[in-house]
Amino acid sequence: MLVPLSWLKEYIDFELSVDELVDQLNLSGTAVESVRFMGKGLDYVRIGQLLEVEPHPDADKLSVTKVDIGQAEPLQIVCGAKNIKPGDKVPVALVGATLPNGIEIKAAKLRGVTSRGMLCSQIELRLGTDAAGIYILPEDVEVGALFTEALGLDDVVVDLEITPNRPDCLAMIGVAREVRAITGNELRKPAVSVKEGTGKAEDAATIVIDDLELCPRYAARIIKGVKVGPSPAWMEQRLQKAGMRPINNIVDITNLVMLETGQPLHAFDLKTLKEGKIIVRRAKPGEKITTLDGVERELDRNMLVIADSDVPVALAGVMGGAETEVTDATVDILLESAYFEPDSIMRTARKMGLLSEASARFEKGVDPNGAVYAADRAAQLIAEYAGGEVLAGVIDVYPEKIEPRTLQLRTDRVNGILGTTLSLPEITDILEKLELKVSVIDGTDNMSVSVPTFRPDLEREIDLIEEVARIFGYNNIESTLPESSGKQGGLSHRQKTVESIKARLLASGLSEIITYSLIDPREVDKLQVPEGDPLRWFVKLMNPLSEELSVLRTTLLVNLLKVLKYNVNREQYDVQVFEVGHIFWHENGKEMPDEEAMLGIALTGAWQADEWHEKARNIDFFDLKGAVEAVLDEIGVTGWSLRQFAHPVLHPGKSAELLIGDEPIGYFGELHPDVLAAFDMPTAYVGELNMDKLIDNAIVSRELIEIPKHPAITLDIAVLVADTVAQEKLIELIEAEGKPLLEQAKLFDLYTGKGVPDGKKSMAYTMVFRASERTLTDEETLDARDRIIARLNKELGAEIRM
Amino acid sequence: MASKAELDNFYEQAKGAVESASDLRALDQVRVEFLGKKGQITSVLKTLGQLPADERKLVGQAANEVRRRLEGAISAKQTELSRADVEERLATEAVDITLPGRRTAHGSQHLISQVIKEITGIFIGLGYRVAEGPEVEIDYFNFKALNQPPDHPARSLQDTFYIKKESVHPADDDILLRTHTSPVQIRVMKEQEPPVYIIAPGKAFRRDVPDPSHLPMFHQVEGLAVDEGITFGDLKGTLEAFTKQMFGKKRKIRLRPHFFPFTEPSAEVDVSCAVCDGKGCRLCGSGWLEILGAGMVDPNVLMEVGYDPEKVSGFAFGMGVERIALLMHGVPDLRMFIENDMRFVKQF
Repeated sequence: MLVPLSWLKEYIDFELSVDELVDQLNLSGTAVESVRFMGKGLDYVRIGQLLEVEPHPDADKLSVTKVDIGQAEPLQIVCGAKNIKPGDKVPVALVGATLPNGIEIKAAKLRGVTSRGMLCSQIELRLGTDAAGIYILPEDVEVGALFTEALGLDDVVVDLEITPNRPDCLAMIGVAREVRAITGNELRKPAVSVKEGTGKAEDAATIVIDDLELCPRYAARIIKGVKVGPSPAWMEQRLQKAGMRPINNIVDITNLVMLETGQPLHAFDLKTLKEGKIIVRRAKPGEKITTLDGVERELDRNMLVIADSDVPVALAGVMGGAETEVTDATVDILLESAYFEPDSIMRTARKMGLLSEASARFEKGVDPNGAVYAADRAAQLIAEYAGGEVLAGVIDVYPEKIEPRTLQLRTDRVNGILGTTLSLPEITDILEKLELKVSVIDGTDNMSVSVPTFRPDLEREIDLIEEVARIFGYNNIESTLPESSGKQGGLSHRQKTVESIKARLLASGLSEIITYSLIDPREVDKLQVPEGDPLRWFVKLMNPLSEELSVLRTTLLVNLLKVLKYNVNREQYDVQVFEVGHIFWHENGKEMPDEEAMLGIALTGAWQADEWHEKARNIDFFDLKGAVEAVLDEIGVTGWSLRQFAHPVLHPGKSAELLIGDEPIGYFGELHPDVLAAFDMPTAYVGELNMDKLIDNAIVSRELIEIPKHPAITLDIAVLVADTVAQEKLIELIEAEGKPLLEQAKLFDLYTGKGVPDGKKSMAYTMVFRASERTLTDEETLDARDRIIARLNKELGAEIRM
Repeated sequence: MASKAELDNFYEQAKGAVESASDLRALDQVRVEFLGKKGQITSVLKTLGQLPADERKLVGQAANEVRRRLEGAISAKQTELSRADVEERLATEAVDITLPGRRTAHGSQHLISQVIKEITGIFIGLGYRVAEGPEVEIDYFNFKALNQPPDHPARSLQDTFYIKKESVHPADDDILLRTHTSPVQIRVMKEQEPPVYIIAPGKAFRRDVPDPSHLPMFHQVEGLAVDEGITFGDLKGTLEAFTKQMFGKKRKIRLRPHFFPFTEPSAEVDVSCAVCDGKGCRLCGSGWLEILGAGMVDPNVLMEVGYDPEKVSGFAFGMGVERIALLMHGVPDLRMFIENDMRFVKQF
């Protein structure tokens, strides 16, 4: 809502500076979006009158003009616009001007003709959107005058963000009322007195409301014998400053009064209404109307229309029809001032994609009891500026008056919600400044508050409390903290576990990423996922922005790979990342999509680039496995195992499924070469684990394992085994046979090559032996070692290698 | 035959050898040569018996004196040589301290997670629990229970992502991607009786095309306190406590009345700009930066979850994490949060 302060001051005086006013409005709930000082950049623009307009001798599209700017000699200015003729008054930017759009005006030769200035369009002066031609000014402006003074542009316009609950503030008077609540100054509503003629309005037109639910009130004034023409300069300026385009005096007055009172008005050319009839009804199936914007629109039963005896002539509250529009030939007018049911207007406007100034107000709720005031105000202005005779009486169909609402307000409730200690008179004073009528209920601190119909937002006691709060000032309310024993801050076991997993991965060198929960289903094709696979049980958006973000992710892999790729494309080859996020899927027949938290890991490149002390090493399967082991270790998962995992996404020989007990938790491995090719990646290691299942198996608290008191004996062995033997087999046998003295066994060397026969590998283990209650002897330790060697030999054919 | 003069001469000779010893080994040789079992001083002492008794005593004393002095000289030389030895070792062991240190690979937490952690940490300190909810919601939790009227524009297909219904008998309620984390409020209140003190961080979705100031997915932190006697003053005090911890002790807040369907009275909350201290600058314009929306929980919301608004009251607030991260770290384009360029991620 654009509010020129010069206009606002018609209704209220205030001594606040612009900054103070902006502050006070902001702090009382009327947000100021921007402030515009209109005259800025227009100091060198004067009013000129065209004396001559001649074609340029060497350029078809240019004209050479002589312009009187009130000085002895007219200026010669070359101009490209076509809409000018001798006699027109136009804004002239003089040499030396810097216009609001940054253009500097200099004397110049255009195709050999000297030009000393520029004739300006509205857009060049930042006054409107009309860039089509030179801004032709009203005839009554004074030649040579400063443009800003002549057009009253020495003004400040504030742009207010009006929240949807405050339709009353979509009007100058409404904004003035807010200023009144801030300053306590008196509000001046324009007094209206309509000079009525002898003819009766009732005889000139009839009004029938067919659907009282959608149109509780329809009032009209009839004005006969008007002369349609341009509005006076002051009126055009006012409308322009408020962001509206002047059309003609009749339309301008309806707009002016709408901006003033908040009541949208519509003027029909009375002669085009068949039988002089207005019928407010729902559209019939198949009916059509061509609206003022020239678009033919199909109507339906849910839309309210204004019809004459025959066809719809306006889309009620949204836009008028082209057929009944006021034109230069119009003589008699029917001026509509109605109250339409807000929701119906909103639905129609949305359905038609037509958001007009009128619909914006009707859909939020105008004052049903302000209709006649606005009609009278407009009729009076029309008589004054367009001539004609206002017929006697207002045709006002309003069978069921909408009465002001009465609400109860308790002083202790106000203070209980706000934490204030306001007295009853203080509360009353605030409400009365907002034009609410307050009566104290005898013998109590409670009030009965009558809410005027221009405030449809005040429906409950809490709404009144908000009014008290915002006018008292939020920042005048004392700050406190809740005093409660009910506060026990902290993280749940689940949340702590997630945090510790993240912390461990970060410490292991992986960075966290966050990606969209939405993916492109075509990316899942790239993963070579077969038809019917759960990764294709997509949850689809009904209204996606694009195919790229059209389904919810069924796996974290897609985005992990995209992030690797994004970085590799930018020469960031070493990328190690994880993401904790949700995946979603739609199981057939189930109404709600399923949603589960997952941990995704993706690694490529090397952990670190070449260093002076160490060369870079490319990440492989065991780096990925190490990251997974670190997670399991961090949250104390025991009893986990791996098994071969067959999925087209992964390399069959370098992938594994993780189980805890018998339950699959997730998988990890190197990407299948086909998938790598599809994503155009050299290599990548990925994993995806179910977060909830990990958390279910996480240890809640750890108990101390006693620190050994007796010394250990450490022995190493190296054995040769067939290279098909899994390491896990060896360690299982070593541990089984070494019990109970063997505390720990660990592979420390794996070797094939020179000295080792083909088809064999050398595995070296370091073994720590200890007895918890005594010092071990060498004999029993060596004995245990020999038993282990014998067992390995017996079961795996392992040969000891010394 | 030893004489005093010979002994003196011997001492001078030996002392010269000690002085000229260049390292500990040479010094030890000198010691053996002069003082060892087969050393010269020993041979002198061995010949003492051949001397007359009176002379024997004199020479004996002198020889012992020489030995004592020589031992002192050797010991002093020894100290000197070992120090030189240590110093030489230290000199050869010196490293170029300007070589880069050895470091293990490290990961960085995503900036958004860091900011969420900081915010939730502050509220945990104020006695709040962390609550979470699903990203796919039904209209009831996302809109209806939050007092959002049926025709509210936020519900339109332009603004909210809706899920295609796949089942044979679709339910009446629309399924959507939550547009804020506020539905967590409703879920928590429906599950438990007051008092409720929760903070709910998470992802939210709005149908905005990605550009420098919009993302279709972003993060919010929602807070809710419902208890007996909660006031607007409590809301202010809580937000002040939060702001000072998050943005610094000198920061002030300002509440401007606003409209939200689920709170009343409602406010938009600004924090004073840290760059200009509230005076107005290029970053903030007016001296204030909007950081969150807040208000007293609307009685309709309390009734919807079965609480009695005459018995309990509450406040709620919500903030955009990306916006706070952007203000705190000068990030010029929201899309940087979702691109996951390692050169961005690793900076924080």
